[in-house]
Amino acid sequence: MREALGADPPGLLERLRAGEPRAFEELVTVYQHRVFGVALRMLGSRAEAEEIAQEVFLRAYRAVADFRGDARLGTWLYGIASRLCLNRLASPDRRVARGDAVLADVPASTPDAAAAAERAELDAALRAAIAGLPEDRRLVLVLRDVEGLSYEEIANALDLDPGTVRSRLHRARLQLKEKLERFA
Amino acid sequence: MTCTETRDLFSALADDALAPAERAALDAHLAGCAECRRELAGLLRTVKLVRAIDPERAPAGFVDRVLAAARPEPARKRLARRLLAPWPTLPLGAAALFLVAGLAVLLFRGSPEQQQAARSQPPTPGPAVQAPTRETAPSTGPAAPRETGSSATTAPREIAPAAPLSSREPTAPQRSRELEALKNRVEQPALAEKRAETKAEPLSAPRDAAPPAEPPQAIPERQAAAPPGVVDGRGAKVDQSSRPQPAGERFSSGAQDTRADGAKDVAKERKLRQQSPASAPPVGAAGVVPSVAAKSQVTPQIAPLSRTGPMTGVPAAAPDVTAQLRVPDVAAAELSLIELAARVGGRQTGRRIDGGRVVVELAVPRDAYAQFVREATALGAVSIESQATDRPVLAVAVTVSN
Repeated sequence: MREALGADPPGLLERLRAGEPRAFEELVTVYQHRVFGVALRMLGSRAEAEEIAQEVFLRAYRAVADFRGDARLGTWLYGIASRLCLNRLASPDRRVARGDAVLADVPASTPDAAAAAERAELDAALRAAIAGLPEDRRLVLVLRDVEGLSYEEIANALDLDPGTVRSRLHRARLQLKEKLERFA
Repeated sequence: MTCTETRDLFSALADDALAPAERAALDAHLAGCAECRRELAGLLRTVKLVRAIDPERAPAGFVDRVLAAARPEPARKRLARRLLAPWPTLPLGAAALFLVAGLAVLLFRGSPEQQQAARSQPPTPGPAVQAPTRETAPSTGPAAPRETGSSATTAPREIAPAAPLSSREPTAPQRSRELEALKNRVEQPALAEKRAETKAEPLSAPRDAAPPAEPPQAIPERQAAAPPGVVDGRGAKVDQSSRPQPAGERFSSGAQDTRADGAKDVAKERKLRQQSPASAPPVGAAGVVPSVAAKSQVTPQIAPLSRTGPMTGVPAAAPDVTAQLRVPDVAAAELSLIELAARVGGRQTGRRIDGGRVVVELAVPRDAYAQFVREATALGAVSIESQATDRPVLAVAVTVSN
């Protein structure tokens, strides 16, 4: 799980609003992995995730003047990324059958080949199980258990009631537990 | 508190997000219910598994690409792009398509003829040196007439194995040496891989060379789909409508930059590419790779394509990774796989037919394995049957079928 979001870099929002080019570069540098990460987990394709992640930052670039600052920049970006991902998943012309792409990650290398194979199997099953979750549950699960956001941050990013976040997360985890019974 | 009510709190318990009263009630129930304790343990293990997933990292060069896309474009360039908009992509796309189709036909229909020609070559010393180069290969001795229908690309596949032998005596020992040379040739990639790994940057050369001459755009599929007219949106004035694919449209203009804006932009794009092996070009667009790839890639890519080569029907050593690839077009997918392997710094090591299905054997650097599999999934449905991950270069056997 990624470490907690933490506070925005000092003065970054103000510099962004002032149109400082360096500030935008800093924004992208600081949050690129988080934005790309959630897009990849949601879409399953690196090319598509990069496309969406770029779009997230371009939208932020255009809209930062209107950003009220009542949430942290990171939460705001997660919100934009989440909406773009859900829109993309709902898009009728989106290519289908991307589910296998999430199986592609390499397991960690270990000296024990059997353990490595087992880890690879678990890894593939885990990613496939996450990819098989309904999108709204998957999003909450990814934001909480992979990206490390708190309930409150998820609620802010997705504009949801915290109770809804908790409930979706619970259902997502139960569903995963069933699918991963033999590993857990 | 019932079991159902208790279990509804498990997830929040995992996040330490229960109110004190809820926690107390939960603990009280768990103390007397072994089944709920078991359920809780299972759920906590699942949460732990998910949290153990490594966070993803954006590909190298991502920041630069975003900054480039956000940079307002000078009006002059915008005008030029509008005027040129339909032309940079269409001819290149069409050329790539024809090239891929042509190569596929030549390679796979030409092989039996090549095989026949090689067999009919009489064992006379004749013109002793069989030219190893493409320029001279088609005119080598009696086999030449059978090769006239083949391109220079296909010719060396049969001729090349003899190249290491400077003087050819078609005696039995000589033939066995030839066979040995052929065998070495198949094994050479692995040796080269080992040598490369001893250097400071083992994979930089093949990776640098591997991307095709055409720019490997970050968003290949969308670019192909982008309407030619929508090409100017890189600045703050970019269209903000709610069309389904605004990003694809906008980024397509960024990709066209590299073709339309001259050497400066191309050089920059190349630099980005070198920094960013993970954002490799799309498999589908890589049909031109063999013709422009690094010279070091040419031989291993071409030679093993022969259906009559020494690797035919002879499985390599047990592969580290065995994969199944289901595609509509086996021949095209086979080519794409080979190109993909080359692009990630690997190479083809063999090819065989197993139960009527094509098995492509590849050596893939472990560092690039993730990229390899990701891009392979774009070719069709991939299933990976076994993996062992200790070696720096993985032997990957992909069974391609439809």
